[in-house]
Amino acid sequence: MAGLELLSDQGYRLDGRKATELRKVQARMGVFAQADGSAYLEQGNTKALAVVYGPHEMRGSRSRTLHDRAVINCQYSMATFSTAERKRRPHGDRKSTEMSLHLKQTFEAAVMTQLYPRSQIDIYVKILQSDGGNYSVCVNAATLAVIDAGIPMRDYVCACTVGFVDETPLADLCYAEESGGVSSLALALLPRGGQIALLQMDARLHQDHLETLIEAAMTACKGVSKVLDQVVRQHLEEVSMLTGE
Amino acid sequence: MLKSKTFVKKTRSGGVMKIVREHYLRDDIWCGSEACTECKQESTELLKDACIESNLCSFPHYLVPDTNVVLHQIDVLEDPVIRNVIILQTVLQEVRHRSAPVYKRLKDIIHEKEKHFYTFTNEHHRDTFIEREPGETANDRNDRAIRVAAKWYSQHLKKFEADTDGLCVVLLTNDQGNKQKAEESGLLVYRFEEYIKSLIANPELVDRLALSNNDKNEITSSKVLFPEHLPLSRIQSGIKSGSFLQGTFRASRDNYLEATVFVQGEGEDSTEVLIQGLQNLNRAVHQDVVAVQLLPRNQWVAPSSVVLQDEGAAKDDAVEEGEEEKALKISAAEAARKPTGKVVGVIKRNWRPFCGMLNISQIKESTRHLFTPADRRIPRIRIETRQASTLAGQRIMVAIDGWPKSSRYPNGHFVRSLGGAGEKDTEQEVLLLEHDVPHQAFSQAVLSFLPKMPWAITPEDMAKREDLRHLTVCSVDPPGCTDIDDALHCRELENGNLEVGVHIADVTHFIRPGNALDKEAANRGTTVYLCGKRIDMVPELLSSNLCSLRSNVERLAFSCIWEMNQKAEILKTRFTKSVINSKASLTYAEAQMRIDDVTKNDETTKSLRGLNKLAKILKRGRIEKGALTLSSLEVRFHIDSETHDPIDLQTKELMETNSMVEEFMLLANISVAQKIYDEFPECAMLRKHPAPPPSNYDILLKAAKSKDVEIHTDSAKALADSLDVAKVDGFPYFNTLLRILATRCMMQAVYFCSGMDSDFHHYGLASPIYTHFTSPIRRSADIIVHRLLAVAIGADSTYPDLMDKHKQSALSNNLNYRHKMSQYGQTQAVGSQQQPQLQT
Amino acid sequence: MATVKVSEAEKVYILHGIRDDLRVDGRGCEDYRHVEIETDVVSNTDGSAKVTLGYTAVLVGIKADIGKPKPMVPNEGYLEFFVDCSANATPEFEGRGGEELGTELSNTLYKVFNNKHSVDLKSLCISAGEHCWVLYVDVLLLQCDGNLYDAISIAIKAALFNTKIPRVHISADEEGGKEIELSDDPYDCMRLDVENVPCIVTLCKVGHRHVVDVTLQEKACSVASLIISVTHKGTITCTRKVGGGSLDPESIFEMTEAGKRVGKALHAPLMALLQQEESLGKKRQKVGFLG
Repeated sequence: MAGLELLSDQGYRLDGRKATELRKVQARMGVFAQADGSAYLEQGNTKALAVVYGPHEMRGSRSRTLHDRAVINCQYSMATFSTAERKRRPHGDRKSTEMSLHLKQTFEAAVMTQLYPRSQIDIYVKILQSDGGNYSVCVNAATLAVIDAGIPMRDYVCACTVGFVDETPLADLCYAEESGGVSSLALALLPRGGQIALLQMDARLHQDHLETLIEAAMTACKGVSKVLDQVVRQHLEEVSMLTGE
Repeated sequence: MLKSKTFVKKTRSGGVMKIVREHYLRDDIWCGSEACTECKQESTELLKDACIESNLCSFPHYLVPDTNVVLHQIDVLEDPVIRNVIILQTVLQEVRHRSAPVYKRLKDIIHEKEKHFYTFTNEHHRDTFIEREPGETANDRNDRAIRVAAKWYSQHLKKFEADTDGLCVVLLTNDQGNKQKAEESGLLVYRFEEYIKSLIANPELVDRLALSNNDKNEITSSKVLFPEHLPLSRIQSGIKSGSFLQGTFRASRDNYLEATVFVQGEGEDSTEVLIQGLQNLNRAVHQDVVAVQLLPRNQWVAPSSVVLQDEGAAKDDAVEEGEEEKALKISAAEAARKPTGKVVGVIKRNWRPFCGMLNISQIKESTRHLFTPADRRIPRIRIETRQASTLAGQRIMVAIDGWPKSSRYPNGHFVRSLGGAGEKDTEQEVLLLEHDVPHQAFSQAVLSFLPKMPWAITPEDMAKREDLRHLTVCSVDPPGCTDIDDALHCRELENGNLEVGVHIADVTHFIRPGNALDKEAANRGTTVYLCGKRIDMVPELLSSNLCSLRSNVERLAFSCIWEMNQKAEILKTRFTKSVINSKASLTYAEAQMRIDDVTKNDETTKSLRGLNKLAKILKRGRIEKGALTLSSLEVRFHIDSETHDPIDLQTKELMETNSMVEEFMLLANISVAQKIYDEFPECAMLRKHPAPPPSNYDILLKAAKSKDVEIHTDSAKALADSLDVAKVDGFPYFNTLLRILATRCMMQAVYFCSGMDSDFHHYGLASPIYTHFTSPIRRSADIIVHRLLAVAIGADSTYPDLMDKHKQSALSNNLNYRHKMSQYGQTQAVGSQQQPQLQT
Repeated sequence: MATVKVSEAEKVYILHGIRDDLRVDGRGCEDYRHVEIETDVVSNTDGSAKVTLGYTAVLVGIKADIGKPKPMVPNEGYLEFFVDCSANATPEFEGRGGEELGTELSNTLYKVFNNKHSVDLKSLCISAGEHCWVLYVDVLLLQCDGNLYDAISIAIKAALFNTKIPRVHISADEEGGKEIELSDDPYDCMRLDVENVPCIVTLCKVGHRHVVDVTLQEKACSVASLIISVTHKGTITCTRKVGGGSLDPESIFEMTEAGKRVGKALHAPLMALLQQEESLGKKRQKVGFLG
């Protein structure tokens, strides 16, 4: 059987989007009462929950304490039912550990950790349903959770996964595209300054294409940032209405 | 941003996995019609006055064919008359899924501006997307989707009725149920045949209709001639359990009742299954992928040595066959029997349009005639046409539609006429078509990338290149050669060593990656020499002028320069882009004469002598390592000649200069192969020649044995050595004949991408690595190699496709295919049997 | 949070309140907190449900896969349980912190649900001794505010109700090999009968009274608790004492009676709710975590 046609001649992708279009992004902040900050975000069929605890005292060994800033502690995990084929355990495998590390690096670049010396901020993200772009969705969800927790950040961190097919960059890949032999690139951006917090690409790509691909990723991230901004503003409105201000 | 609602599609595959995909619906998909004033489209495909004169529809209309119409009637759809057609995404996807060749042809039509075909993405349109309903099969859903989309169009177009003369859509389907439902919902719907027959101006289109199921019954008797083909599921489980074998069906050229099925086993292990008799062949056609079942051992037979052609009038009963089949069953010696089987099912048909001649039916009024393909491996095809008398004596193309089990012949339909039989142009066309050689004139788009004349080397070019104009370079080629792609020089250095240079036309300077010129060359793959005609790979301006290294003009070259000692050992190798000025374009004979003429002592001659001396040493070294000298240029030369007289063989011994040029080309190719592989281990384009499996040598050993000569085939070296001593007194050409036979035992040398393979060995040349660098004017592999080498020495930059091993590999496959087809074409053109040449 | 610290004064306040059948949040001793249930929230599972009980939140996803029946019962399929106590619920669960609790929970769930009295395991059999459906019931703990067992059992019952198992056709070829083909019609699926699936009621002994659906504060005041699984008919299928501390037999009998009463009353509204949701079909606006 023929493989999937990722981009039709008419310019539509498998799910009917055009090359630069993002999936539908929906989000809500403050989903849980017990955590200091929480958010739920879905980008198409990829759905993630992020929870933030802290800043609080260092937990466990004190040796990790940093005297000039807060320690960011991340854990990435996936619900066992989140993938098409059931996962045996939610975290602890090599991939989740790597993902946790990437999240940590991303948020170290964005959170103003110097405001909370000798303390710790926990960011936990859970993928409830996975359909491509897991890293990006986690970053976006975590950004909202950190904002919900009231922890100052330099800017929103917005992430997006882009791929390259038939000389065309595709924004916000879904799983079928990611697994369909596309070289994909994940990028986390601080949109206002245009600073890149994380850039990751494992596949082969000719150097000539890199620039267009990064360009497309940045545009996509900016699109995401608009949606996040809207979510934050709406959330604030609702909250202030409730508190009667 | 998205204006759509999310739907979820579920598919289950493999194990039990629930796959959920998003499906966005859009409201910005336009109708593509010129008449529409509502859609915000930038360009339109469908014309406002879409008129095909038909006595069914007297008004302008767009056609909406369903999937089966496209699959079966693509020949008619390709006709220039059929225009303004809406191809629904549902149809396109189904076609893609069901037949790759038809899908490609459909896409070609869509791309053709003149045809006004428009693809409507109905599956993502907010108003035309439908969800599968409970109890509905996938096919029913698709039919419904097609009807809904057609309905949408007719309502959409109605809005502009006022100024379009009642423009509407016509659904074309051959499915009764679908047609009825469409009529109920108020759509204009016709059967495809019905519609085509209604076309007033173009009665000839009717001939090109593929026969649908209903028609077939009329033609053939109800008698069942063939066993039923098994359903695919049975075949698959049979193959899994080992009771059936899957392989490619190869009909015999000489006997229409015999074929072999080539079964690819694990790794090198592959077998051939013999199939004999119409019943066992069971409607398989050459190149089909089939499933075979082995017969019990006591029914195994030996390949027959009878030549049988399927001739004469149409045979509808099995009586005559019986006679012919009997002729096959001569009791063969037990040892000669081979695994024999029967075809139980066809996994994939590989039908293409076939060239050939029409045999007019003896019944005068009959519209059904037999068609005899030019390729003898293809069975005769029954077609229906009303223009038989016109087509008699013409070369025509015919496509197969199907082969019912009650029919002696496959049913097909007429595609087009190529011209009168026997006319040189027609015959050439047939030859080119049958071997799939692209031979149209170069398009304007391609020509637009040629350099503007008058052309001269610019100072910028000079600055980037090494100036080698002072060297005494000369070229040596066959007489009459206008595309000279290589030149040589040799001079003595002060330290007593020799400097040898091979200068190759710098084609990549003119053909830049990715443009139309490059794509065309990559597609053509090779220049084909046929019937005294040359079908160029690149336009003549390049092949015979700017890239041809003619004497006394300045030309751009890519040079490979070695420093060698007097023992022909390479001390240093370097590659450079250069400018040369050839001092002489010689033929082999002229060069030979200069070398032999002791009175001549000019620079060119000295250079030639130096080269010749080194070449001899090189050749000796190569042969010692076990290189084969089978490729008998001289032999082919003679079979070409009018006389077919073997006496000639001896007199036309190869001249030293032939092998002199060849030696240095080999050397350059090997040096370049090493260099590009070192630099690009993943994506170097190389050429390998696998060692043949021992069974290939059977014919050679048999022939040698008949004269009590022993041939060793354990290694290339052993083979070469034993061939050298294989001489029979009083039979001077025996050795040459053995060498020709040995050539036929060889495998085909192929291009491949280094990242996709691990075996690089070139058996014939006994070289661990090899590529093609020296003929960029006539082989497109060399162009790729030039580019890789240019990057390796920093003279040019890479581009994405060059570094992509999958694309490289796909390109290699195309080149191998073109190469093979052109060889078959060339050998067929000279009327001799096909013989895979050991190409260097 | 899995546990909270409660001061002595608070404890006394809670204990006194319960003695008078008036709990801190205003409930009586046999009252549940507000429960929210939604099914079909994770589209790539075969059945799923999200349940919140006060601040306790659990998500259950069920995936059906084809496996080999257990040798002892060749004509039955089976269920597998996994409870993921994720760090989202509390930082204490980070890393391997939640594993102990997860194992304890899943073992209990296995005992309660994986038997032919709760679920018709025979209907999960495809071909005896060779193939059967295995239902992987994965519980994800998102927030803990006491009474995990009850919340999880409600979620599992809802998810089982929601589960759609694709229908299979078994075709045998002449060699006797069996090929399992899945129906390609997405509507052609098998539903489970969940009528007999029990719910778990946890009773905590606080002071001298037995309290259902305890919050974390109340739990901190309790000595020990008893979990009871009850079917819609009021049949008790499993009881188990959990937690430190000890119980006298007298209170165990009392607690069992109370649990029976509460549990029986739980089923009818739950089923009504699930059926109502089901009847909305595709028109239902999915809320999930966005509401």
